[in-house]
Amino acid sequence: MRALCWNGVNDLRVETVADPAILNPKDVILKVRLSTTCGSDLHLIDGLIPTMREGDVLGHEFMGEIVDVGREVTKVKRGDRVVVPSFIACGQCWYCQHDLYSLCDTSHPKPELQEPLLGYPTAGIYAYSHAFGGYAGSHAEYVRVPFADTDCFVVPDGLADEDALFISDAAPTGFMGADFCNIQRGDLVAVWGCGGVGLMAQQGAMILGAERVIAIDQYPERLAKAEAFGAIPLDFTKVDVIDALKELTGGRGPDACIDAVGMEAAGTGLQHAYDRVKQALYMETDRGTALRQAMLAVRKGGTLSILGVYGLMDKFPLGLLMNKGVTVRTAQQHGQAYVPRLLEHALRGELTPAALATHRFSLEDSPTGYHMFKHKEDGCVRAVFAP
Amino acid sequence: MNPVQSDNAIKAAARASVTIGRPADELRTLWLDPGTQSRIWTHFAEVNPLDGRTAEWLARGPAGGEYRWRSEAVEVGPDEIRWSSLDGADVPNTGQLIFRPAPGDRGTELHLEVRFDPPGGVIGEAVSKLFHIVPGEIVRHALYKFRALALTGEIPTTDPQPAARKGGADR
Repeated sequence: MRALCWNGVNDLRVETVADPAILNPKDVILKVRLSTTCGSDLHLIDGLIPTMREGDVLGHEFMGEIVDVGREVTKVKRGDRVVVPSFIACGQCWYCQHDLYSLCDTSHPKPELQEPLLGYPTAGIYAYSHAFGGYAGSHAEYVRVPFADTDCFVVPDGLADEDALFISDAAPTGFMGADFCNIQRGDLVAVWGCGGVGLMAQQGAMILGAERVIAIDQYPERLAKAEAFGAIPLDFTKVDVIDALKELTGGRGPDACIDAVGMEAAGTGLQHAYDRVKQALYMETDRGTALRQAMLAVRKGGTLSILGVYGLMDKFPLGLLMNKGVTVRTAQQHGQAYVPRLLEHALRGELTPAALATHRFSLEDSPTGYHMFKHKEDGCVRAVFAP
Repeated sequence: MNPVQSDNAIKAAARASVTIGRPADELRTLWLDPGTQSRIWTHFAEVNPLDGRTAEWLARGPAGGEYRWRSEAVEVGPDEIRWSSLDGADVPNTGQLIFRPAPGDRGTELHLEVRFDPPGGVIGEAVSKLFHIVPGEIVRHALYKFRALALTGEIPTTDPQPAARKGGADR
């Protein structure tokens, strides 16, 4: 089959590779209908994550049709159109049973690469370096999905592929970030970042009853999308964000702040990656700034919800959180806990994930798609590939 | 006690623990299933069970080194399983698995210890060099695989899968 492969720093090529096969009895094989770019891919592509290997198939946000099933798959079947969260979860372990799916105890095949960094292995993820499991990704004609009965969600008729696609990652990640805020009547929620995850966090906060949602970014086309969703846009290059937020909240500050920017350049938190980020100081400074700003802006006793992917950040003003009594919530997406309700929200038009799909490419043109996505050319929020 | 020998002895002993949300008797039965032993040590050795109590082990080291031994269960109780290599082992070793109830609804704790006695003295580094894997990793990964098998009936793997190397598949 054809697949988009990482062959070294900024070296993406569509190549012919072997088709995936069913390896375990709960696996299925998906014919990929749509697969999309994610900001966290850029740091794999830029070579900031040392456990990538030349030839790895990229892509972790996808949907498709089941074309082959393992002998112990009982709930989904051949022909089903399904969306799959990017973290692989077994559904059986203590973490999965407590809705902490991205912390699954059993889906990581290479825990020895990750445990020294984090203390314990997390769930495996598609195409997110070998430290995160090394599973082949979805920018391909076919992808193998383990634990299909837990991880494949049938897309209801009437919901477009483009809507279902982002319920793989951007939507559940954003919605989880809003859910972490424990939104109460009258709450104001500020979201840093209007990329795919930030926009979905904004819609999530609205669905969960936020009085107002404030969206912070610098790209006019992204701020325009946030505004179209009903958020109040703030361009941090044009206003003092802290002052603007105080004014918008009557001096109280946002009840919850969501960081959907991250310092993804630090990737998995490997020291090597961090050192390279330090060399590219502008990245560290820019991105750490969003989080520090959120920490300063959040009201006393408020909630800070961190969705941006962080590595090792050694200048973190902990005293700011402590003295203000801030509750911090963070995680990689526990998608399986949210996908069913997100499909319902999308079906009712309350969630509009397809709005993220600004540019569409064939799989053969996916390197061009990544280039546009990386450089945010032509207002690109997400590039979508149709194999 | 000679402190140097003591240090070395600790290095050669590998320990790890996991908690699995299943009752101890079920886990003990699964551990003693000959098929289980041949699946959970694959990162370290090929294990061929001869019967319920004995197995043949073949560990491959770097540069083509092969080390063989036969193991035998020496004690199988409700809370503990112990085994030992038999005479003539290339790398004499003993193993002990203890089951303890975990608090609350968390199931059962498994505490695994394997001690190696490499030829030429008890030196932890020698184990790493012999097998090309640190002793701690041998036991930890085996317990993780066992946990996956106990909870899901399968062991996570990516082997083989598509990749643009080695003729299109990662092995």
